[in-house]
Amino acid sequence: MLALVRPESWNLPLFLHVLGAAVLLGALGATVVIALRAPAWRQLLVRTITFLVLPGWLLMRFAGDWIDSKENVPGDPAWLGIGSLVGDAGLLLLVVTALLAWWGLRRPQRGWPVKAVAVVASVYLIALFVAVWVMTAKPD
Amino acid sequence: MSRYDWLLSLHVLGAFLVLGGAVLAGVFNLAALRRERPSEVAFLFRLTRVAVVSISAGMVLTLVFGLWLVDEAGYGWGEAWIVVALVLWVASNALGGIGGKGEKRARQLAQRLAAEGDAPSAELSARLRDPVRLALSWSSGVLVVVLLGLMIWKPGA
Repeated sequence: MLALVRPESWNLPLFLHVLGAAVLLGALGATVVIALRAPAWRQLLVRTITFLVLPGWLLMRFAGDWIDSKENVPGDPAWLGIGSLVGDAGLLLLVVTALLAWWGLRRPQRGWPVKAVAVVASVYLIALFVAVWVMTAKPD
Repeated sequence: MSRYDWLLSLHVLGAFLVLGGAVLAGVFNLAALRRERPSEVAFLFRLTRVAVVSISAGMVLTLVFGLWLVDEAGYGWGEAWIVVALVLWVASNALGGIGGKGEKRARQLAQRLAAEGDAPSAELSARLRDPVRLALSWSSGVLVVVLLGLMIWKPGA
């Protein structure tokens, strides 16, 4: 019943954390759709990653750190570990996704970079949904 | 996990489907505004259907499990933040629905023009940039973000 007793000072970082995660999820979904359905539109792919996916990740991650510093969760609960892991490992996956998309834009005759973007972005999208569920439900 | 945890996780999943779907729709709508060829505009609006499915499913999840949560958590049905949330939910759906009809008409026009030679059209351009359609669609998205804030702050709870 954490939500019922949450201190007022946690609200802004939580709002920004959730907003960042939602932008990241939606933009990553758009990345997957573009890579699968419109692989020739590589500039749209790069712009989506640059202007939405990466800023969404930054907002999610730093607002997450902000609320973590306020919440001061005792011990090392699994939900926090999984959320942090998905967040941190996500940066690596997103950098790889961005580089692949950029490579695909520079080499329009090659199809594999965009296919790889679809695979990596799909994997991270699934991981994010798992993280959302774990961080919300906080299973034992 | 308690029943409250399950209900909350499904409610939040719905919220992410709505917010994520709104971002997805925004990406394809903005991309459509930058295109001239009707076939490209029609294609981008077809891609938006993924967002519509996500938003629709999310709206149902947030409402069903949100109402269940009110009961489960012991909130009062007359509390201002709950009443305002329901009003915003209805308003967001209504604005999105009306804006969506404008998008459907623009997509149908784009499909017809694409079949008739795929030449850029002033009529399609005007329909894409129709300020009323854009205001309705974007207002719906803004209301969803306001709803998120309301759910987190719960003023008066």
